[in-house]
Amino acid sequence: MKKKMKKEKNHFRAPVKDTFRRKSPFNQLLEHMEKVRECIDILGDGIVRYYMRDYKNFSEISEKVSKLEHEADLIKGNLRNHLPNTLFMPVDKGKFLWALREQDAILDHAENLAVMLDMRHTKIPKELQPLFIDHAKLVMKTVKAMEDAVSNIRDLVETSFVKRERKQTKEYIYKVHELEYKADKKKYELTKGIYALEKKLDPMDVYHLLKIADWVDDIADHAENVADWLRAMIAK
Amino acid sequence: MLIMGGASAVAFYMAWSIGSNDVANSMATAVGAKAITFRQAVIIAGVLNFIGAVFVGSHVTDTVRKGIVNVTGIDTHVLLIGFIASLIAAAIWVTLSTWKEMPISTTHSVVGALVGFGLIAGGTSSVIWSKVGYVIASWVLSPIAGCILAFLIFKIIVKTIFAKEHPVKAAKIVGPIIFGFTALLIVSSLFLKTPLSSKCNIDEMTGILIAVIVAVIVVIIGIIVFRKIKEKGKEDYATVEGIFRKLQIGTSCYVAFSHGANDVANAIGPVASIIPLAQGATVGSQVEVPYWLLALGGFGIAVGCMTWGRKVMRTVGNRITSLTNTRGFSVDFGAATTVLVASKLGLPISTSHTVVGAVIGVGLARGLEAVDLSVIKKIIVSWLLTLPIAAGTSIAIFLILRTIVG
Repeated sequence: MKKKMKKEKNHFRAPVKDTFRRKSPFNQLLEHMEKVRECIDILGDGIVRYYMRDYKNFSEISEKVSKLEHEADLIKGNLRNHLPNTLFMPVDKGKFLWALREQDAILDHAENLAVMLDMRHTKIPKELQPLFIDHAKLVMKTVKAMEDAVSNIRDLVETSFVKRERKQTKEYIYKVHELEYKADKKKYELTKGIYALEKKLDPMDVYHLLKIADWVDDIADHAENVADWLRAMIAK
Repeated sequence: MLIMGGASAVAFYMAWSIGSNDVANSMATAVGAKAITFRQAVIIAGVLNFIGAVFVGSHVTDTVRKGIVNVTGIDTHVLLIGFIASLIAAAIWVTLSTWKEMPISTTHSVVGALVGFGLIAGGTSSVIWSKVGYVIASWVLSPIAGCILAFLIFKIIVKTIFAKEHPVKAAKIVGPIIFGFTALLIVSSLFLKTPLSSKCNIDEMTGILIAVIVAVIVVIIGIIVFRKIKEKGKEDYATVEGIFRKLQIGTSCYVAFSHGANDVANAIGPVASIIPLAQGATVGSQVEVPYWLLALGGFGIAVGCMTWGRKVMRTVGNRITSLTNTRGFSVDFGAATTVLVASKLGLPISTSHTVVGAVIGVGLARGLEAVDLSVIKKIIVSWLLTLPIAAGTSIAIFLILRTIVG
C-alpha cells in the first residue's frame, strides 16, 4: 500500500522536488524535544508531590508520561527511517542520530521512573524529603538546560553554524554539565542520608529509596549525553 | 505554408511543455521560500520568459538551428523533413518522459534528435561534432557551475551577514549590493551583442556603461528602501530573511528571464531552420531568427506556465517549504547566472539540472537541513537515455516521413 502511494505520479518533470526531504530533520528533533519538555514538566511536578507523600493522581501522571513516550517514539522512528545514505546534512548524520537516541532515552527513563514509583508508594522519610526534592529539581533543571542547548539548533542551522551561535550553544552545554555535576553530588548526599537511616527503615523501603535516587539521576545522565553529542555535532 | 503551420504548432507545444515543467521547476524555489505566491510566480515567469526569449533568445537558437547539423551538401527537401522529424521526436520523448516523471531535459532531447537526423541524412560528417562536444560538455559543466556559484554566494551571505554582530544592519547593505550585481548581469546581457543593441546603435563600451549605471542605481534604491528596517532584538534572523524575501522577488525574475533566453531555442530552433527553407532560401545564409518566432516561443512558454505550470509550481513549492529566502536567493542567483552566461555563449543547457546543481551547492555550503543527492543519479541516467532515444526516434520518424512524402 505504502509503495503504491509512493508511485503516485503527478505527470511532470521537476527534479528539484526530489532534492528536498519532506520534513526538516532538525524540526523533527525539536518536535521530539517538545515531548521531552512536556513529559519532564508533568513528571517534575508529580515527583515533588510524591516526595511530599501526596499520591493522589499519580497514576494519571504515569499514564500521561507513557503516552508522551509513545508519541515521541513515533517521531523518532519516522525521523530515523527516512534518512537515506544519499541524504546530505550539514552535520554528521551519525552524531545527529546519537543525539536523538539519547534524547529518547530520557523519555524511556522518565517512563520507567513514573511506572516504578506508582507500583509502590514508598514514604520518603521526613528528614530526607528536602534532599530528595532538591535532587529532583536539579535533575529537572539539567534537562531544561539541555532543552535550551537543543533549541539553539534552529539558530545554528539558520546561520549555517557561525561562530557566535556555536559559542552560545556551547555555553548552554556547559550549563548542562554543571547542573548534572550538582545533581550527582546531591545524589551522593542523598544516598549517604539513606544509609544513615538504614537501621530505622524497613529494608524494602531502603531498597526502593536507593533505586528512586538512581532512576531520577539516570534522567540527568542522558540529558548530559544529548549535550555531549550536540557538542560533537557542531564541532568544526 | 502547411509545413510551417504544422512545425510552428509542434514548436508551440514544445514551448508549452518547457513553460509548464522547466519554468515551474526553476520558479519553485521562490514559491517554496515564500518570496512570491504561486500566482505571482506564474505571472513573473510568463512575462519575463517572454522578454528573455525575444531579446536574448537568438544566440542559443542559432546554435540549435546551425550548430548541430552541417547543412551544406544536404538536399533542401531532406533538410525540411529532417528538422520536422527531429522536432516531432523531441516532442514525443519529452511528453513520454514527463508522463513517467523522468528528470530529462528538453534541451538534451532536441540536440539528441538533431544529431540523429544529421546522422541519417548525411552520415557522420554531417554532424558538427566539435560543437556537439561543446554542448555536451556544457551539460556537465552547467550544473557544476550552478553548484559553485550558489555555494559561493551563500558563503558570502554567511560571512558578511550572519557572522556579523548585527546581521540585519549588514543585510541592509550587502543585500542590495549583491542584487546590484544581478542587475549588472541582466542589463549587460541585454545590450551586449543582441539584436536590440545593434538596433539602438549601442557599442560594447556604452552597453557596459549603461549596465554599471543601472546597477549603481539599483544598489542605491535598495539601500534607501531597506533603510527604515530595524533590528528587533539580538539575533534577529527573521528580519534578515525578510530583506532577502524582497530581493528574491528580483532574482526570481532573473531566473525567468535567463530561462526564456536559453530554453526558447529548444522549441523554435528547428523551426527557425525550416522557415528559410520553406521560403526557398538556403539554411546557411545569414538569416536572423525572426522576431515573431521568438515571440511565438516566448508566448508558448508563458502559456505553459499559466496552465499546467500552476499545478507543478504549487506541488513543488509545497514540497520545499524548508527553503528560506537567503537560500532561495543563492539558488536563484547561481542557477540564473549560469543559464544566462550559457545563453550568451549560445550553449543550449538544461535549466532544471542547473537549478538542481545550485540547490546542492547551497547544501554543500551547510545551508540546507537535508539535500537528497540521489537525484544526481537520476539525472545522469536521464542524460544517458535521452541522447540515444531522441536520436533513434528522430531517425525513425525521418525514415517514415521520407517514405510518405517520397
